[in-house]
Amino acid sequence: MRRTTVSATKPAPELAVLREPLREIGGEQVLAGLTAALSWLEANQQEINDLNVFPVPDGDTGSNMYLTLRSAVEEARDAPSPEAADSVLAAAAHGSLMGARGNSGVILSQILRGFAQGSSQRPRLDAGGVALAMTEASAVAYRAVMKPTEGTILTVVRDAASAAAAASTTTDDIRVVLDRVVTEAHAAVERTTDQLQVLREANVVDAGGFGLAVILEGFARAVGDTSATAPAPALVRRSGEPALRLPPNPGDLEATGSAMPRRGAAAVAPREQGWGYCTEFLISGPGLDVDSIRTELSALGESALVVGDPDLVRVHIHTGDPAGLIAAASSRGRMSKLKVEDMSAQHHDVLERADAREAESAADAVGTAVDERTQAPPKPIGVASVAPGDGFREIMGSLGADSIVSGGQTMNPSIEDLLNGVLAVNAEHVILLPNNVNVILTAEQVDPLAEGCEVRVVPTSNLPQGIAALLAFDPSASLDENCDRMLAAIATVRAVEVTRAVRDTKVNGHNIKVGDVIAVVDDVITEVGSEYLNVIEAVLNAEAKKPELVTVYRGQEVSADEADALVASLRETHPGTEFELQAGGQEHYPYVLSLE
Amino acid sequence: MIHLVTDSTSDIAPSDAQALGVHVVPLIVRFGEEQYRDGVDIDADQFYAKLERSDVHPTTSQPSPDAFASLYRTLLADPQDEVVGLHISTKLSGTLQSATLAAQEFDTARIHLVDTESVSGGLQLLVRAAVDDIKAGDTATAVAEKATRRRSKVTIVVLLDTLTYLHRGGRIGRAQAFVGSLLNVKPLIAVRDGEVVPLARPRSLSKGIDMIVEQVRGCAPLRGLAEFHAAASESMVELESRLGTAVSNVTAVLGRIGPVVGAYSGPGGIGVACLGAD
Repeated sequence: MRRTTVSATKPAPELAVLREPLREIGGEQVLAGLTAALSWLEANQQEINDLNVFPVPDGDTGSNMYLTLRSAVEEARDAPSPEAADSVLAAAAHGSLMGARGNSGVILSQILRGFAQGSSQRPRLDAGGVALAMTEASAVAYRAVMKPTEGTILTVVRDAASAAAAASTTTDDIRVVLDRVVTEAHAAVERTTDQLQVLREANVVDAGGFGLAVILEGFARAVGDTSATAPAPALVRRSGEPALRLPPNPGDLEATGSAMPRRGAAAVAPREQGWGYCTEFLISGPGLDVDSIRTELSALGESALVVGDPDLVRVHIHTGDPAGLIAAASSRGRMSKLKVEDMSAQHHDVLERADAREAESAADAVGTAVDERTQAPPKPIGVASVAPGDGFREIMGSLGADSIVSGGQTMNPSIEDLLNGVLAVNAEHVILLPNNVNVILTAEQVDPLAEGCEVRVVPTSNLPQGIAALLAFDPSASLDENCDRMLAAIATVRAVEVTRAVRDTKVNGHNIKVGDVIAVVDDVITEVGSEYLNVIEAVLNAEAKKPELVTVYRGQEVSADEADALVASLRETHPGTEFELQAGGQEHYPYVLSLE
Repeated sequence: MIHLVTDSTSDIAPSDAQALGVHVVPLIVRFGEEQYRDGVDIDADQFYAKLERSDVHPTTSQPSPDAFASLYRTLLADPQDEVVGLHISTKLSGTLQSATLAAQEFDTARIHLVDTESVSGGLQLLVRAAVDDIKAGDTATAVAEKATRRRSKVTIVVLLDTLTYLHRGGRIGRAQAFVGSLLNVKPLIAVRDGEVVPLARPRSLSKGIDMIVEQVRGCAPLRGLAEFHAAASESMVELESRLGTAVSNVTAVLGRIGPVVGAYSGPGGIGVACLGAD
């Protein structure tokens, strides 16, 4: 299935001349643009997730970008000078950085940072200013990535910036500039399929690039367009493609009397059950069982995000019955920062009050954390480690990790989550173990934010590497020595992650069908089959050097008996190898194996 | 004449001690009410066999001051004679305390006691080096001084099967950091400055031996090398062959981890001690 996107915003030229050119924008328009971009991104979130190439369940690009941008918008709302574009953008950039999660989220935060840098000292932006900011956004994003790859969000931001620069030399109308930007962004998204082998094989466009195009589109449609009755956009849809949800039509917004609906309501058929309530809150522990809370609360709504640790869980769920959800949640622990947003109607006053309360309690929370931190003197060195699942948390704790940040495959922690985890270590030097390919880039943003401690990331790209790194940790050695030891240790393990394909695809010459068991060895799909045992056997038999020790971490969905049986079979067929079975408790991966 | 005295935690074989003219004062190992003198009433084989069968965990105690006093009385019968006593780290045992108490009965100038900050093979290598010094004609004071200087050149690394015994025996020191691992690890520990310190947590014998070899290489040039095991002869064979290729210019002393030290290492441990050249 080829998924393509089409710009929905190309205006008819004659209509453009009918409108007054928009020569300048200030803080209010930037905020309106960002808010619209967020709504539009939320509406397209699932579609972006579904563009996931890899047939393993890590389709969270859309969610990561959404959470990152949401954090940006929340902070932009509280910008010190709401009327100044530079102030709003600087606040958005900071918010996005704190909320950034996943690779695309981090790159998005860098794009916003670049945009803010390019707009600094400019309370009002003209067309040239927008182009300059876009150029800076592209430059900063490229710098954030060590090995920039074409055919990704980077290509899209660069091409969009070029379009802005070219347009700004011919017009001073920001609308026209943004229209070109959006058109070019979508064209660049289309081209990604041919730029990256993995995308070509799977016949999809790049998810992060598409997400950026969606953001630009939402932004463009709202900026400076709060009063004009815009024409219905020309919609081109190729047959057989999934329905493209449209950005909200500014004309409709006018009718509802609000800045922006929470959902792209204009072109989307209303759902019978309505949009429900976007409900968010925190549950405070101790002793919270994140996984069981997630299971229970997810059943009560949609778009559930339940993340955290035994001490604090953050919940974000769309539900038709917020009261029931709150009742269920309150039995788990003390609730705070409750925010219920009616997604069908608009309750701005309520929201603003909630935001103010949230800001207050957030300030309180920070104060408390600082007080607690100052109680004990920091130790010289410690480790913060990212782990999904209770089993891995316990194992890592038992190996000496001082703080565990919840997260992993489909719930990448934000920079703020990681920063909090690092600060919780309370050490002068903190080694941060991301333990997932998609968390490494986020982790690398933490050091400059962590005041009073030096943070070093040992780029563990999977859980077995994280365990190996922790085993190598020596609290009496220096930061450099420990990093060296850990790097050497992660080179000695091979990680095998076993899961079931969530889509049909073709990767590395393997034709993969939904439900196939696939084994990812050191981040490369190497075996495909129908049963866990056969696939694991194939992986072990393909090893050039027979492993001495294989540690099998069973995931949440595998029973102890099932895993015991599997390991018993492996012991029989591999007599020279020692097998150790542990409960990892990870989601999505029934088995994770460490080969040593 | 200079008499060299050590204690049974040097894990020196009785026949070697006799051949070298070294006097060994036994520590005590107990299983409940049963009490044995280390290396006298119980040897390593008997101890590990008993350890496996016994419901009670063995405890140990330092020799009584009397045990030292009666030995010193014999050795110092000739007024020209002196004693050099090289003993287990005071951070691991009160043995030197007993020796010091015993020495007060005598002319303390004639008894030279050294805290070797060492144990097992490490202590034994220091004793063997002291035997050489005595043969070379050093005074008792010089022998004791040299032993004191050499203790910083001793490296002891032990790959344990488990930390349980060290933990129960309260001799874990900073290796505490290794306790509680939910994964099976083979803790690699060292004795440094007289204390047990954690080195690494390899997950397999082969990796552990790699690390031991690396530690030994780091001590070169070597004056002495000792390889020990606690009822782990198979692992010992592998250790010997790997070390044999890595270190060729010294003859290794091979031995067993005896009952008292074995009560802390537990069965299954293998270890190496080496002494760097002066």
